[in-house]
Amino acid sequence: MTALVKFRNVTLGYERHPAVHHLDGAVEKGTLLAVVGPNGAGKSTLFKGLVGLLKPLAGQIERGVLRTRDIAYLPQIADIDRSFPINVYDIVAMGLWRNAGLFGGIGDKDREKIHDAVAAVGLTGFERRSIATLSGGQMQRVLFARLLLQDANLIVLDEPFTAIDAKTTDDLLAIVHRWHGEKRTVLAALHDLDLVRTNFPDVLLLAREPVAWGPSNTVLTAENLLKARQMCEAFDDQAAACVDAA
Amino acid sequence: MLIYKALIAPFFEFEFMRRALVGACALALGAGPVGVLLMLRRMSLMGDAMAHAILPGAAIGFLLAGFNLFALTVGGLAAGLVVALLAGFVARTTELKEDAALAAFFLVSLAIGVTIVSLRGSNIDLLHFLFGSVLALDNQTLVLIASIATLSLGVLSVIWRPLVLDCVDPGFLRSVSRSGAPVHTLFLALVVLNLVGAFHALGTLLAVGMMMLPAVASRFWVRDITPMILMAIGIGMLSGYAGLLLSFHTAVPAGPAIILVAGLVYAGSVIFGRVGGLARQLFPGRHLEA
Amino acid sequence: MGARYLSIACAALLMAGPAVAQDRGRPKIKVVATFSILADIARNVGGDRIEVASLVGPNGDVHVFTPTPADAKAIAAAEIVVENGLGLEGWIERLVNASGARAAVVVASAGIKSRLADADHGRADPDPHAWQSVADAQIYVANIRDALVRADPAGKAFYQASAAAYLARLEALDQDAHNALGKIPADRRKVITTHNAFGYFGAAYGIAFLAPQGVSTESEPSARDVATIITLIKVEKISAIFLENVADPRLLDRIAKETGTKIGGRLYSDALTDPGGPASTYIDLIRHNVHQLAAALAD
Repeated sequence: MTALVKFRNVTLGYERHPAVHHLDGAVEKGTLLAVVGPNGAGKSTLFKGLVGLLKPLAGQIERGVLRTRDIAYLPQIADIDRSFPINVYDIVAMGLWRNAGLFGGIGDKDREKIHDAVAAVGLTGFERRSIATLSGGQMQRVLFARLLLQDANLIVLDEPFTAIDAKTTDDLLAIVHRWHGEKRTVLAALHDLDLVRTNFPDVLLLAREPVAWGPSNTVLTAENLLKARQMCEAFDDQAAACVDAA
Repeated sequence: MLIYKALIAPFFEFEFMRRALVGACALALGAGPVGVLLMLRRMSLMGDAMAHAILPGAAIGFLLAGFNLFALTVGGLAAGLVVALLAGFVARTTELKEDAALAAFFLVSLAIGVTIVSLRGSNIDLLHFLFGSVLALDNQTLVLIASIATLSLGVLSVIWRPLVLDCVDPGFLRSVSRSGAPVHTLFLALVVLNLVGAFHALGTLLAVGMMMLPAVASRFWVRDITPMILMAIGIGMLSGYAGLLLSFHTAVPAGPAIILVAGLVYAGSVIFGRVGGLARQLFPGRHLEA
Repeated sequence: MGARYLSIACAALLMAGPAVAQDRGRPKIKVVATFSILADIARNVGGDRIEVASLVGPNGDVHVFTPTPADAKAIAAAEIVVENGLGLEGWIERLVNASGARAAVVVASAGIKSRLADADHGRADPDPHAWQSVADAQIYVANIRDALVRADPAGKAFYQASAAAYLARLEALDQDAHNALGKIPADRRKVITTHNAFGYFGAAYGIAFLAPQGVSTESEPSARDVATIITLIKVEKISAIFLENVADPRLLDRIAKETGTKIGGRLYSDALTDPGGPASTYIDLIRHNVHQLAAALAD
């Protein structure tokens, strides 16, 4: 199994305070990995580092042959301006932009793909709706449709099912499985451990420092979970410089 | 017959009216789309700030060469771009957000500009800088305005997708492309360019009116961005036409008359607009079946 | 030893001073003119026998002048006050009374055949700009000379000689103006100005000066203003425009292009310029205006 991404003693954080502390490991190609941990465990930070939005304070994240266009990222709080006068179709179409480019028009084949993506997330008929009128769940479906079109090798989802109703969650999980079936690598930060146990073969339990990383049944033990919960949430203003810093 | 006399005849009889109309329409064509995007990017006031920022550059051009089109244009462009870049730089590298950085810069620019013009020119000259002279558009200025409009539309159509993306979902744009920053800079350059064009006709105080008022008014009539842009252009042209007529039949100065009309259209849109207008809010009509 | 000689020399000089000054006779007659043109004319008549001050200085606007206490003081100290009359200085009577009215007030335009301000529009006010006609200016000279003689009889011969010399120069000026402006073809004798100040000049030399009605030229022009100007030019077949109040040179250009007229230089009407300027004396002012008109109206 080839490693798609390697973490070498990675520390990520803000203003010198580590949010992810000394992470080592590799994400194999084709993995379906859930990243879990208490609030403040560094899950979002890790993903930001992974997609290149945040530079590590120490260590390296090796993305190998992965280019920007090969990664699709769904942030936790999408920075989307819901009041912008744009409709579902156009947002989903953005997924194609990387391939269509600045000059590329949307041809008939592309139009088909967009409609298929919209259908795949169960939003057929919503194409002309302004995004301001969508519910949370519907907006999330739209974003998933966009992800579908991005056709990426690595898909990174930061808490994709928070505050989403059960039906939508099921539908979107189906898409996640579809990706897994297509041999794409999917990482998702999640809170619902039951959902993780039933859907995700691999888990990384993160509590600022990695607690456990492996198959879900070995990682999600009571012991590990307790250890993770005991991690301190706030940054320590009195902390000294870390000795291990590479 | 009376209608013809009031609404059409002035443009047939007088060449300066025709030129002013052409100039105003060209302005509307270039400034409309830029204004809509400014508004959607929550940068409306920044447009105003940029309009003032170009004054010292134009003033220096005036100091060196009088009312010379080339000097004023180049000066205005340079000043506008410098202020835009400086504000952006300060915003990116310090805690200050772009709006505050820009506010500081443009106020200083305006003061410098007024001082420079007062050094060489009279109060009347200053008035022309502040209010423009849409009735005095000579051939070169008309060509300049038309070129700016053409260039604007061309560039916009090319950077359209990243520009829209940058407004709607900047995070997504950042994650798929590095063109966010250059596109933003290019957009600012277009803003400055259109403002410099408008500056010749309407002066630094009113230039941004042609850019923002039609855009803001269009928000109350349509929901989608493309119709919004078309509407903004239409309102801009209408304001030019009606404003010139207003100035022709009453003694209102021409530049302010155009902006007045645009302002009236805006007020009317706020009240009667189909999308979120006050009248609609007070009297929404029965809800639909589905 | 040296110090003694020095002090004697100083004493001698001191005593000689007044003796030398005696030659000039009595102290100078203090004359206050209301504005620069009158002051210049007065200076030319009175020479060194008088001391002239002007209430409204060069480039000033006598139409909107408001007197200050300093002006009242100047008038109080004056022996002669020269005003234009014909309604130009609405404030002069009050000012003279307020300052004690010791001075003799000369109305320079007394005896002139006055014109009406807007002759073609039937207003009843007189046009005060009589000095624009050189022939009328000669009457100004006579009035001022006579007032000076009354106030200073000892200088009568001086004033008469001075005035005669100046009148001769004015005569020559008038002649030159007639020559220069006489050459202009009959169909090019109409100009448009902003200020209705050249009625007398126009009547004297056969040029029609038209001003657009209701046009505000200090502030931003409206389309209506520009249309009015252009219509007037076209209807009256005006040949040159002297619209210095339309300060935007581009707008002037546009008007000239659309009407096929020539843009003239600046005409001076109510005030002299600073000493270095093109109209620093009355004679220069008239010469300058004539030159500008001749140049603009030549074919």
